[in-house]
Amino acid sequence: MERLATAWAIFQGLLLEALPFLLIGVAIASLARWLAPGGRWLQRLPHHPVVGPLTGAALGFALPACECGNVPVARRLLAGGAPLGTALGFLFAAPVLNPIVLASTWAAFPNQPWLLAARPGGALLLSLLLASVLRLLPETALLTPALLEERRLNQPLAEVGLLERRSGLVGAVGAPPPQAPVQRPPLQEVLQHGSREFLDLAALLVLGCAIAATVQTLLPRSWLLAVGGAPTLSVLSLMLLAVVVSVCSSVDAFLALGFAAQITPGALLAFLVLGPVVDLKLLGLFRVLFQPRAIALTAAAASVAVLVLGQWVNLLLL
Amino acid sequence: MRSLALALWGLVLLVSSLSGRLDLLLSGAFHPLVGLSGVVLLVLAALQLPAELGAGRRPPAPKSWWLSGVVALLVLAIPPNPSFSDLAANRPAELGEEAELSFLLPPAQRSLTDWVRLLRSQPDPSLYAGDPVRISGFVWPQPGDAPQLARLLVRCCLADATPVGLPVRWPAGPVPQADQWLAVQGTMAVEEHNGESRSVVVAQRITPIARPSRPLEP
Repeated sequence: MERLATAWAIFQGLLLEALPFLLIGVAIASLARWLAPGGRWLQRLPHHPVVGPLTGAALGFALPACECGNVPVARRLLAGGAPLGTALGFLFAAPVLNPIVLASTWAAFPNQPWLLAARPGGALLLSLLLASVLRLLPETALLTPALLEERRLNQPLAEVGLLERRSGLVGAVGAPPPQAPVQRPPLQEVLQHGSREFLDLAALLVLGCAIAATVQTLLPRSWLLAVGGAPTLSVLSLMLLAVVVSVCSSVDAFLALGFAAQITPGALLAFLVLGPVVDLKLLGLFRVLFQPRAIALTAAAASVAVLVLGQWVNLLLL
Repeated sequence: MRSLALALWGLVLLVSSLSGRLDLLLSGAFHPLVGLSGVVLLVLAALQLPAELGAGRRPPAPKSWWLSGVVALLVLAIPPNPSFSDLAANRPAELGEEAELSFLLPPAQRSLTDWVRLLRSQPDPSLYAGDPVRISGFVWPQPGDAPQLARLLVRCCLADATPVGLPVRWPAGPVPQADQWLAVQGTMAVEEHNGESRSVVVAQRITPIARPSRPLEP
């Protein structure tokens, strides 16, 4: 019974902390929808496999939110027809590459300058890798049907495969007909859209927080940290901890400070790089973007990459 | 339904903020953000309600909204009541490498957390022997040892709570129960523990107290 009460309190803590950030993310996405209707600028973002994700990552500096707030904005990017790589780069790198997270990492580890370079560097590498892995999937296998539908409306017809087209002439050549300027949607409609998005995401957040709180209560954290000094095991256990704890990327550095002395540097970096990309709370939220198979691929690819990164850092620094 | 669901979540955030529940769940830095978000959600709900009422027949709300709405009602109805010793037992006690303490309070004014930080930064038990101690905290059972008096440090939310504890030499009699909040007066002493000397609080006066309104330390 006590366990249940503790899990309930952890659940409320996670949820109440994440909901404001979710609201901020939805507000930014809605504002973008209102100010730049039709999202023409989104389609002009770079398509290049490396420059695209880097541009997406750079967008993180304009959005000081943690991973929960990023999901609605990434959804807006994808729905608006932004190149896949750019949107994925934003989704995976922006939770680390933003001023608040970098400042909190610096505040927590002022005496470990290597971490200040390694954390954003690692996040950037990871986002590039995930973007290139997920681009291997066709968009129909990657994105949820609802999101795909919305994305197709905003993409130039030439980018859509023949089998997926609902309109247009097969074999037509020449410039596409000029599109009518898109009217700014009425404020009431933007509010409605934003509210629906917030409620959909809140439902998924509830699910993610419930899983995270249950696992945390049942799995003693001291088990995960018991392997502290062993290079590979420490990286693995801290990766598992990052996935289970699901704390927001803007404060996870302070949490890591609590056990930084006990673990290897590679494990510390693995915790700080993997947490913002894959955790139990996020897996729920990713359901508005990706099909289950793509979520599994993201989790697997991110885990392997972070394990390698952690091992490499241990090799250099231990 | 949309306005209703928004209003419900707004209410959850606002009520949690005003009722002092957040003191039990989140670090203080986030409290204004939660309250403000609650107000924003309520305003959004109020702005959309007239249009929604006037719209006539509407498509049914998704099931996920209903389910999360039920959870929101449960959050309103069942306030959090975590077991502090349970939270502490699940987590390693480690304060990390603290920088040099910038200032030092007189011994009798130091809180439990101040004491633990001081002992970590200058771990020489003989420096503090005989100092008066007046601290409060909850009872944290230790496997194979006497229970410690402890506090939880929280940087973000309860999910990252980290315990800090001080060993206590309890007076003869029944050992205090886990989770009980106590105010302890006594003196610092040195004792041998597993072949190492450590500081221990020799309790002289123990008073049961209610859980403080702000039980989490930053």
